[in-house]
Amino acid sequence: MCGIAGIIYRDSKQSEKLGADLISIIQPLESRGPDSCGVAFYSDSATGSKPIKLIVRSDEPPSDRIRSSLHDWLRQVAPVQSIDIVADSYRILLNPVEDLRFDLKPFMQSLHQRFPMLHFMSAGHQLEIFKEVGEVQNLVSKYSLSPFTGSHGIAHTRMATESTVDLDHCHPFTSSYDLSIVHNGQLSNYYRLRFQLERAGIVFETHNDSEAIAHYVYYQLLQGLTLEETLEKFLTEVDGVYTFLLATPEKVALVRDQFAAKPAVIYETDEKVAIASEYRAFLNMPGFDPSATIREPDASEINVWTVGAHQRQPQLSTLGAK
Amino acid sequence: MTPTTTRSHPVIDCAELTTREINQKLKALASEGIPQADLDNPAGRHNLGVGLEQPIHLVFHGPVGYYCGGLSDGSTVEVMGPCGWSVGENLMSGQITIHGNASANSGASAHGGKIAILGNSGPRTAISLKGATVIVAGDVGHSSAFMMQDGRFIICGNAGSNLGDSIYQGEIFVGGEIHSLGADAKLTPMTEADWHTLETELSPLGLTARDYDFKKIICAQELYHFKAKDFSKWKDAY
Repeated sequence: MCGIAGIIYRDSKQSEKLGADLISIIQPLESRGPDSCGVAFYSDSATGSKPIKLIVRSDEPPSDRIRSSLHDWLRQVAPVQSIDIVADSYRILLNPVEDLRFDLKPFMQSLHQRFPMLHFMSAGHQLEIFKEVGEVQNLVSKYSLSPFTGSHGIAHTRMATESTVDLDHCHPFTSSYDLSIVHNGQLSNYYRLRFQLERAGIVFETHNDSEAIAHYVYYQLLQGLTLEETLEKFLTEVDGVYTFLLATPEKVALVRDQFAAKPAVIYETDEKVAIASEYRAFLNMPGFDPSATIREPDASEINVWTVGAHQRQPQLSTLGAK
Repeated sequence: MTPTTTRSHPVIDCAELTTREINQKLKALASEGIPQADLDNPAGRHNLGVGLEQPIHLVFHGPVGYYCGGLSDGSTVEVMGPCGWSVGENLMSGQITIHGNASANSGASAHGGKIAILGNSGPRTAISLKGATVIVAGDVGHSSAFMMQDGRFIICGNAGSNLGDSIYQGEIFVGGEIHSLGADAKLTPMTEADWHTLETELSPLGLTARDYDFKKIICAQELYHFKAKDFSKWKDAY
């Protein structure tokens, strides 16, 4: 059992509610996943030149000494706009440079070699990931998440089944810039999937099967597939029980396996879409409207919502005609 | 919601109590012989009204979560709203009526009594049914009545794929379309006695059996004595 939740606004005016809304629906799902919790927020997409945000978590209490040596080290690869200390993490803004898209994997590896106490959390123009072993409330107060603004976000409460409980094994998982997933379930063909992805050059950071979803999606997108094609392929190639949410700057997808073995409920109004593992999670959401469209996705159903789009209908795909 | 002052029965506000306290209170009321209790603000919570062994009529004014009314023996439950997974799981006797839609696994493994869902019900409805009657006024999802062992399952709407897969015994009636039958489930002609049964079961719910084109599904009994050479009879199962 795990809890997953997501918020997508149809209207950019809503964005200042993101932190409060997403936390209000993941908090009740703590009973589904008491051992760790995480959120992935997407800040509003700004036009023009946007800095790249890096969230790096430290095992030791952050210090100005580490911050300045991090600054000096990062300056070799990109102009550093700022490095802020947020609780036990460093929030780094790198100024965009033509062709800056440095490869994340070598960057993460050399970061860890140079600063063994630092853990890479997320990178992107919009994405920020915060996660923590323990209660939702700890995470929320530690990073002051409630006032967080943005266009969409996903969240997770974890009950570990297959891999250890520590920070690195918490959701959300990311595999590239601005790409994040949260997953409830188990992948049956994880080892084969991992082997195939590793043969293709993907480096796994953890032993959590959910990490494979993030890598699989990124790999397929690299091959030129669209997000929708990737997810349809996922349904045919990945075995197991899963309901997962995937977010990019433009889209949020909800995928359910062909047996619909893990729950999900979708809440839709003209203002927003909210997704949660259980209906009761919506009840404390600010402005909850009991007359909103509330439905369960079917087995093998893929829902893809475009962030900020006003049309009510998500892009729908149902394979296997279950 | 009805103001509590106008109701003659005990009213429990679920918001003020833990689930354990609610269920203990219901057991106490039932053992005192109180005929009915009204429950406000169930708020989609799980395990409400479970394991009651004495008769009492419960009315939940709002949506309930997982396992509502399960494991009970003799109580009757009405839910004025939708319900979560596995409503009436392992019901022994009594009746549960859902005035709304149900999620997955409704009536799972129920031994006796009746579970009536007046909306649609999700995948695996009446899975492993062991003798209860499950009635769904709307549609049911895939793999419904999977491994059904006994009882009666009436679907007025459509049924998803693999209906009655690996059924042992019991009977299934479908008023709408069947996406596909599972392994060892077969159609059999409706008899007058079947129509009479359906009328008896459906009329208390305000439904008329003759309004639907009911079809009957039973076990083909081809897997009772399964031999490896008959693999084709089984290969379409999961």
